[in-house]
Amino acid sequence: MTAQTIDAPTGTATTGVIELQNVTRWYGNVVAVNDITMSLGPGVTGLLGPNGAGKTTVLHMMAGFLAPSRGTLTIDGKPTWRNPSVYRDLGLVTEREAVHGFLTAGQFVLACAKMQKLPDPAGAARRALELVEMTDAADRRIETFSKGMRQRTRVAAALVHEPRVLLLDEPFNGMDPRQRMHMMELLHSLGDRGHTILFSSHILEEVEQVAGLVQVIVAGRLAASGDYRRIRRLMTNRPHVFAVRSSDDRKLAVALIAEKSVSGIEVEATGLTVRAADYGSFTRALPRIALDQGIRLHQLVPSDESLESVFSYLLEA
Amino acid sequence: MTIIATEALTKTYGGGVTALADLTVAVDAGVIGLVGANGAGKSTFIKIMLGLVPPSSGTVRVFDLDPVTETDKVRARVGYMPENDCLPPDVSASEFVTHLGRMSGLPRTAARERASEALRHVGLYEERYRQIGGYSTGMKQRVKLAQALVHDPDLLLLDEPTNGLDPAGRDAMLALVHRIGTEFGISVVVCSHLLGEVERICDSLIAIEGGRLLRADRISSMTAVSDVLAVEVADGTDELAAALTARGLTVSREGRLLLVPLESDAAYDRILQAVSELDLNLHRLDQRRHRVAELFTTKETADV
Amino acid sequence: MSETGVIHDIGYQRYAGERLGRLAALNALYVHGLRASFGLGRSAKAKIFPWLVAGIMLLVAVILAAVRSQLKQVIFTYVQFADQMSWLIIFFVAILAPALVSRDMRSGTLPLYFSRPLRAADYVTAKFAALTTAVWLLLGVPQFIMFLGAAFTGDDGAKGVWNEFLDLAPGWGYSLLWALLFSGISLLIASFTGKQAFAAGGIVAVFLLTTPIFGVLSILPSTTANEMAGLASPMTLIAGVGAWLSGNTENTLDPGRFGPVYGIEAVCLIAVCLLLLLARYRKVASL
Repeated sequence: MTAQTIDAPTGTATTGVIELQNVTRWYGNVVAVNDITMSLGPGVTGLLGPNGAGKTTVLHMMAGFLAPSRGTLTIDGKPTWRNPSVYRDLGLVTEREAVHGFLTAGQFVLACAKMQKLPDPAGAARRALELVEMTDAADRRIETFSKGMRQRTRVAAALVHEPRVLLLDEPFNGMDPRQRMHMMELLHSLGDRGHTILFSSHILEEVEQVAGLVQVIVAGRLAASGDYRRIRRLMTNRPHVFAVRSSDDRKLAVALIAEKSVSGIEVEATGLTVRAADYGSFTRALPRIALDQGIRLHQLVPSDESLESVFSYLLEA
Repeated sequence: MTIIATEALTKTYGGGVTALADLTVAVDAGVIGLVGANGAGKSTFIKIMLGLVPPSSGTVRVFDLDPVTETDKVRARVGYMPENDCLPPDVSASEFVTHLGRMSGLPRTAARERASEALRHVGLYEERYRQIGGYSTGMKQRVKLAQALVHDPDLLLLDEPTNGLDPAGRDAMLALVHRIGTEFGISVVVCSHLLGEVERICDSLIAIEGGRLLRADRISSMTAVSDVLAVEVADGTDELAAALTARGLTVSREGRLLLVPLESDAAYDRILQAVSELDLNLHRLDQRRHRVAELFTTKETADV
Repeated sequence: MSETGVIHDIGYQRYAGERLGRLAALNALYVHGLRASFGLGRSAKAKIFPWLVAGIMLLVAVILAAVRSQLKQVIFTYVQFADQMSWLIIFFVAILAPALVSRDMRSGTLPLYFSRPLRAADYVTAKFAALTTAVWLLLGVPQFIMFLGAAFTGDDGAKGVWNEFLDLAPGWGYSLLWALLFSGISLLIASFTGKQAFAAGGIVAVFLLTTPIFGVLSILPSTTANEMAGLASPMTLIAGVGAWLSGNTENTLDPGRFGPVYGIEAVCLIAVCLLLLLARYRKVASL
C-alpha cells in the first residue's frame, strides 16, 4: 500500500500492552469509570459504548491526561499518569482538537516530530505522511483540508514517532465512505504489523470490519470483552435467531420444532424465523434434518449475530 | 411523481471552484439517499434547492417550481435539518419550534399546535419544556427534525441526521425517518456518509463525486442478489472448502466465508451434504447481495 | 347497551390551514425581538438589566414630573432628558443589540431562519425595528410621564395640555432619532461577532472613543472646527441635529451654519448602518 513502511515493533509479546486493573474514576458524585479491568495487546480493538458511558474518560486515562481515582493503569508496566516518557510509545488522536489552520500538513507533522525529539524529524514526518497517503497534500494549509484529510493529518502526527500504542477517539466522525475505507485499511495494516490500536466508534458496522476484538463499556462498567461472535455465544439466555428459507418451509418447520434445541418458530410468507436455544446443536442439526426430509435449504441467515445486535443485548442486560 | 429535477445543473464559485458540474437527475417521491465525499457538492446542491444560491447554469425544479424565482413557494414546502449545531441553548424546545413555525408563516395558534404535534412525533415529551442547552445529542437532533416538520413540508432535507448519535440513538432516528418517509407521506432526502444506513432506509440513491453525478438509481437495483453463494460454518472452514471442491464446486475464500458460484440449484444440495457429512455447524447460507459500498471502491482518488 | 371501543387516529396530520406570508413572519420576529429586548420570553436574569434601566429612567421622569407639577419648575426639557439619559441608552443597546443578533450567530440558528421564506432584508428590518422601538419606548414613556406631570397640573386647562403636547411631540421625535441611530450602530457592530461580551464592549468602545474627538475639536480655536465637532460622535451628532431643528442652542452645542450637515450626516449614518447590516446578512444567509 505504501512505499515506506513502519517496521513492526520488535520485542516480546508484552510490548504495547495496556493493562487496566480495577480502574475507577470519579468526579465528585459522578462515577465515570467503575472498576474496569482489561488488557489490550497488539492488534485492533474497538471501544464501544453509548454516549456518556465513559469511553473518552478511559482513553484519556490511557493517554495519561487523567489519573485513575483507584486502580492501576499501565502501558508495558509503566503507569501513564505523570510519566512523560510514556509518550515515546503512545500516540493519541482526540475527538476534537483545534489544529493551527495556517500550518501546512507537512509543517504540522514536522513540528510534532521535533517535539518528540526524534533524531531525524524530517524523515519521520515524511514517512508518517506517506503512511496516511498525504504526501501530495503535504504543502497545503490545513485550513483548506476536508475533514477526512484533517483527520489523516492528525493520525500522521500521532504516528510520527512510531509509537507502539495508538489511541483514537471517534476517528471516523464526519468522514465520507472513501475516507473511512482508507482509514480502516490503515488501522488494519498497522494492527497487523503489531501495533496496539484502540479506537472508539459508534458506527458498529465498521467496527465489525476493522476490529477483531471489542471492549464494551456501559455506564462506566466493562460489560464485555473479546470477539463479539464469542460474546454472542456466551449469551445463552438469549436464543439465537435465524431466518430460514427452503423449498418447503412448513414441512421444515414441523421437523424443526421436534428438535430440542429449537425454542420457537415463526412462519411467514417470506420464510421462517427460528429461535434456537442451543446454537451448537441447532446449527449441526439443521443440514441433517433438511437432507432427511428432502428439503432444499436456500437461505440461512443469523439475524442477531451482528455487532449491533450484540451491543444492544449488552445494553439491555 | 418527480419531486426534484435538475438539468445540467452547474455551480462555480469565484476562484474557479466548481461545486457542481452538469448534474442531471430526476428524483421520485420516497426516501432518497444523497451520498458523496465531503466537498463533493452535496451542501451546494441543498443550498440551490433552498434557493439560497443561484445556479451558474442549468436548471433545477423542486415540485416543478424554480427555487430562484419562486423561492417563497419552494421554501414553504421544504423543511431543512442542518448538520451543524443550530439550536439556542436558552430557550425550550417547545418555544423554539413554535417560533420557527411562525417564521414559516403559520398563524400563532396553528404554530403552537403544530409545534406540539411535531415534538410528539419525534418523541420529545416532557423534555420539551426544558431549555435546549441541557439536552443530549439525540434530543437535539430530534428538535432539529421537529422544526423541519412544523410547517408541514412535502419534502424534508436532512443533513447527516444520525451525526453524533450512539447506536441506539441512530436506530431510533433511522426508524423515525423511515416512518416519516412511508407513513407521513413526506419525501425525504437524507445526506449521509454511512452507506449501511442508506441501504436500510432509502428507496433510491444519488451519489455525487467531485460535483458530478456518480450514480442515481433505486437501492433495490444496487443491492440485487448476485449469483454467488456465501457459506459460513462455525469452524472447519478449510475442511469444508476441500469437501466442496471435491464435489466439483469452485470455492473461493473471503475471511470466514466460502464463496461458491451458483451455477445451478444443485449447488445448494452439495453444500448441505458436505456440511452434514462433516458434521459442521452451519452458520450461514445466503446469496450474496451487492452493496452500495461497491460504488466507491472502484475508483481511487489521491485527494480524498 | 353495546360496548364500543375506538382507537383514535393521532397519526401525523397534514396542515391545510392558512399560511401567512413574509410580512406576518417579519411581524412575528419583530414582536419576538421587542419582547426579548425587555427580557420577556427569556430567563429571569435577562430581565434584570433592561428593567433596571427602564426603572431608573422612569424614576427620573417621575421626579421631574413631580417637580414640574409641584414647583412649576422645568429642570429638563424633553429634549434635554434624552440627552441626559444618553449613557444609559448606550449601555442598553450595548447589552441588547448583541442579545438580539449575536446570540443567533453564536448558536448558528441563522440557517434555520433563512431556509424559510424569510429573507435577509426581513430579518434585518425586524431586528432593527425591534431595537428602535425598545429604545424609543425607553425614552418616550418617561417623556410621557413628564408630560402628564406638566400638562394636567397646569393652570391653563385644555390649552395648556395642548401646548405641552406641542413640546412633547418634538421630544418624541428627538427620541426617535436617538433610537434609530443608536440601534443602527449597535446592531451593525453586534452583527460582526457571535460573542455577546465582545459585541457589547465594541459598542461601548465606539461611543467612548468618538467622544474625545469631539472634545478636542470643540476647544480648538477655530469656530468652524467647534461647530463641526459634534459630527464626530453620535451623541453630539444628535444633539446637533436637535439644536439645528429647534433653533435652540442654549445648553447644547451650537452647530452654527452647519446644521443641515448634521441632519444629512445623521440620515446617512442610519442608512449606511442599515445597508451594511443588510449586506452582512445577505452574505451570511447563503449558509
